[in-house]
Parts: sequence; structure tokens; C-alpha cells
Amino acid sequence: MSNAAAIAAKGAVTQPAARAGANAGAPVRIAVKDLNFYYGQFHGLKNINLNFHDRQVTALIGPSGCGKSTLLRTFNRIYSLYPEQRAEGQILLDGENILDPKIDLNELRSRVGMVFQKPTPFPMSIYDNVAFGMRLYEKLPKSELDARVESALRKAALWDEVKDKLRQSGMGLSGGQQQRLCIARTVAQRPEVILFDEPTSALDPISTGRIEELIEQLRDEFTIAIVTHNMQQAARISQFTAFMYLGELIEFGQTNRIFMNPEKRQTQDYITGRFG
Amino acid sequence: MTTLTDQIALADTRSVARRQGPSRGGDAVFRGAAYASALLVLLVLAGILGSILYGGWPAFREFGFGFLTSSAWNIGTEQYGALVAVIGTLASALLALVIGVPISLGIAIYLTQLCPGWARKPVGMTIELLAAVPSIIYGMWGLFIFAPLFARFVQVPVSNLVEGMPVVGTLFYARVPSGVGILTAGIILAIMIVPFVASIARDMLDQIPTILRESAYGIGCTTWEVVRHVLIPQASVSIIGAIMLGLGRALGETMAVTFVIGNANRLSASIFDPGSTIASRIANEFNEADGMQLNALMALGCILFLITFIVLIIARLLTRRAKVA
Repeated sequence: MSNAAAIAAKGAVTQPAARAGANAGAPVRIAVKDLNFYYGQFHGLKNINLNFHDRQVTALIGPSGCGKSTLLRTFNRIYSLYPEQRAEGQILLDGENILDPKIDLNELRSRVGMVFQKPTPFPMSIYDNVAFGMRLYEKLPKSELDARVESALRKAALWDEVKDKLRQSGMGLSGGQQQRLCIARTVAQRPEVILFDEPTSALDPISTGRIEELIEQLRDEFTIAIVTHNMQQAARISQFTAFMYLGELIEFGQTNRIFMNPEKRQTQDYITGRFG
Repeated sequence: MTTLTDQIALADTRSVARRQGPSRGGDAVFRGAAYASALLVLLVLAGILGSILYGGWPAFREFGFGFLTSSAWNIGTEQYGALVAVIGTLASALLALVIGVPISLGIAIYLTQLCPGWARKPVGMTIELLAAVPSIIYGMWGLFIFAPLFARFVQVPVSNLVEGMPVVGTLFYARVPSGVGILTAGIILAIMIVPFVASIARDMLDQIPTILRESAYGIGCTTWEVVRHVLIPQASVSIIGAIMLGLGRALGETMAVTFVIGNANRLSASIFDPGSTIASRIANEFNEADGMQLNALMALGCILFLITFIVLIIARLLTRRAKVA
């Protein structure tokens, strides 16, 4: 457990170590306006209003079933795969409402990448896993494709481990490597936003540490939203934190402030471990 | 005295209450019975194989390897060869796969990826009901209803169209457009294997974790790309296993094929022409066969047994490997 988290968990008021450079002045990349979400009759998200800032990590925390994953899944509209799920309101990505039925979902998903709870390598070689997304959208000459694959694998801190076996199946890697492969695959498409849905929940502590470092680095280029069950993780890697409870956004602010000085009683109770 | 009887009574109840040791006899009988049941299957299989081999042996001895390569089937001169039947069997089964597998995969993909939830059950049930239709029904329907329509609307126009053309002019030319033939058999067989292949493929696609599918959509794939590049390769080994099971069924199917294949002992390059399969040949001639003809039929049976056995083994190996992986 990091210092920051240990302190945060106790509710003490000291400056946590990581969490550098929260920039509230950064332009807004995603603006959520009056978002309501329904699973059939069930009202999953209630009047969410929230901004995600450019090249900042925003953590979504809250107890199971609070709607944090649901919120994340609206940003690439992956929920549209399920006809009984629907969203109302507005989500503006660079000013464009992505809930508009006319939006091109495939293009949206190439702009908003997603990394899931468990590693999901595709049944193809390591190289093809990374190149797959690029090939869908761009016709690149072989040399450029090679360069993009290498750069994506480097950004995912995986290049050195796989450079000699790019033609081998991605299924043969360890869990942590597979997850970094999935990150490389996402990064390779050069999205604007990357969504992480509990990316380390299936990984051991060492792999988790690596992924967290990686997310810190990716922040230089991408706007990042991460759902996590692990409050220490939120404290370590995010600049902004949103606390959700029962489908509502309870509190949102700079991670520092949320953990040190929460305004709402429920936030205080959750981060000090009194429930959840 | 009273104490003694009391003691005896006590001892009695104790011995009743205590669990009796495993009775050696009962256990041995049970084990023997289970063992025998298992052994019986092996014995029956070996017996069938052995007796067919024994029955077919004179034909193999008489014609040697030539039995496989000869297309003769002359009862008058007692000349027999398996070539026409073997080719008919393989050709009709392959045609069944070529027609049936894409349809089966289409059904499986529709049911698992595209079908609205409420329709999944009824459509799936209909497919499985197809598997319950007895093969004689398919044969009868194929001969009396499908074949005349097929002759009128496919064989005649296509033959007229391709007549004189190279390759297709031979492949799709019906000398006698009667509706029966290798292709008709292939189509009927395709209908028969679709429920098997489709339901296994559906189960395999269903087993693929939702998260893999979501992540494929998540990088911007269309449904076609998800299916083509991720789902099908992920399930590929088991789908090949399912196809092999369908092939096994198509190779051995007798009744329906006998109705619609035309039962001619003729090698033809046209898939519109009548032919025969091993199973249909045996079904047609067994009643009146004796002597060398009977031996030749038995030998045909051996060949069919061997072909289906190999196909089934491959299918098993593939589906088992898929479960382990």
C-alpha cells in the first residue's frame, strides 16, 4: 500500500505523494450533461454531470453496482450492443454529442479506446493483435505499420519482452503481458480517450504496479478515465476523482481534495472504509 | 441371568447399529456387471467389424487393390469395384458440407450475435427440430417434391445455359434432367447436417467470453469484422470438429440418399447426373445379393466403416482439444 493511500484511508490530512500535476485548467475533453441510463426498467445512472479534462486521469470510484462501469461504458457506447440498454442526455466528446443516433459507432470507438477487466488478446499473433485496429481504419505500408506496432508496444512497456516473438500467438503471454498487449492494441489506434475498466482486477501486484506506471505515462498523450475498486489505486494514479453511489454522482473534484477533504459525508465514509 | 440377557441384547443392538463392512460379494457382482456392460460394447463393435471383414474378405482377395480403383459393378460377369460408390459417397458428402456449413455458421452467428433475445429460443428450437425429422421423410420429400422442382427450375435451365461451355458445361450438365443425382443428394444431406453443425457451432460461439466480443467491438470493429477475425478464429478448432461430425453423418446417411441419388453405377463428371454412394448401393442390393456380390457389398461396408471411423476420430480429437484449450 502506498503512503498516499494509507494516509487517505485513515482520513488524515497530509499531501499524498503521487498525483502530480492536477490541472483543473486543462480543456474539457468529455462533458457529460444530464446523463440518465436505463437497463430496461432499471434506472442505472441518474442525472450525471461531469467533465473529463484533457490529458488527465480521472478515476471513477464507488461501491459495486454504483454505476461507475456503466458510466464508462457510455463513452464508447459499447452498451449499444445490448438493445435493452439506453442512455438519455448528452455526452460531448470535443463538443460533439456521441449519444446522437447518427454517430458512427465504429469511428467513435476508434477515437475512444477501452481496456477491460481481464486481458482479451485476440486469437492471432502478437503483431497482428496490435496491428489489427490500425488495419481496420488505415491502409498503411508495411514499414510504417511495423513502426507503429513497435511504438505502440514500447508505449505499453512490452516491446522488450516480445520483440523476438512478434509472430507468436498473443494467448501465450502471461496475464500482465496480455493486459499490456491490450493496452498496446488500444494505443496503436491513436485514440483521444482511453477508458480503463478495472484494468488490474485480474492481475498480481507486480503486474498491477506496471500497469499503473503505464497509465501515468500514457497521460502525456491521452485523456484517461479509469474505473477502479481500489481506492489506493485511484489515489496513486488519478488527478481527478468522481465518487458515485447508487447511480448518482456524489462528489467530483481533484483527487487530492476528494481524498483529503471530502465535502460529502458519503464520500468520507467510503474512502475511510466505513462502507462499500 | 437377567444381566446376561441384557448384555446380549445390548451387544445385538450395537452390532445392528454399526455399519456393516462392505460385502465382498455384492461389490464384486456390481463391478463385474459394470465391467461387462462396458466390455459388451467393445465386443459388439469388434464382432460387427470382424464379421464384415470376414464377409468382405473374398472380394478383397479376388480383386485386390483393384477393388478400390475399378468402376465396374457387373453382376452378370461378377466384376465388382468400389470406385463409383466411394466417389459418390465422398462427392455427395462434400457437396453437403459446401452447402451446409456456410448456412450452419450463418445460423449460429445469427443466433448468438444478431438475433433479438425473444427470438433466440424459437429459432433455436426449430433448428433442433430439423434434427428430429426421420431420414425417410427427407428421402420421400426429396424424391417426390424436391426432385421434380429441382429438375424443372434448376437442372433444365442451368443445363441449357451451360451447354457447350468448357468445364461448367460438363460439371452442370444434366443428360437426363430427372431431378435426382449427386447434387440433389448433397442438398438433402446438407439440410440434414445443418441442425447438428449449427447447434454445436452456436454452443461454441456462446462459450466465448462476452468481454472478448466487447473488446473487439471496442476497437471499432463492425459485426462482420468481429465475427470474421475474432469469434470464428477463437472457436475455429471446435467448429472444425462440428463440421467433421456433420461429415460423419453425411457419409453414412442411407435412406434419404438412396431415394434421391439415382442409384446409377456410372462415373460422371456432372454433379447433376445420378450416381450412388456406398450406403445406397448396399441398401439397394442387399436383398437379392449372394455369392461374390454379397462379398463385394460387405467389402464396401468395410470401406465405409473405415472412412467414417477416421472422420469421427478426427472430429473427437478436434473437439476435445478445443475443450482443453
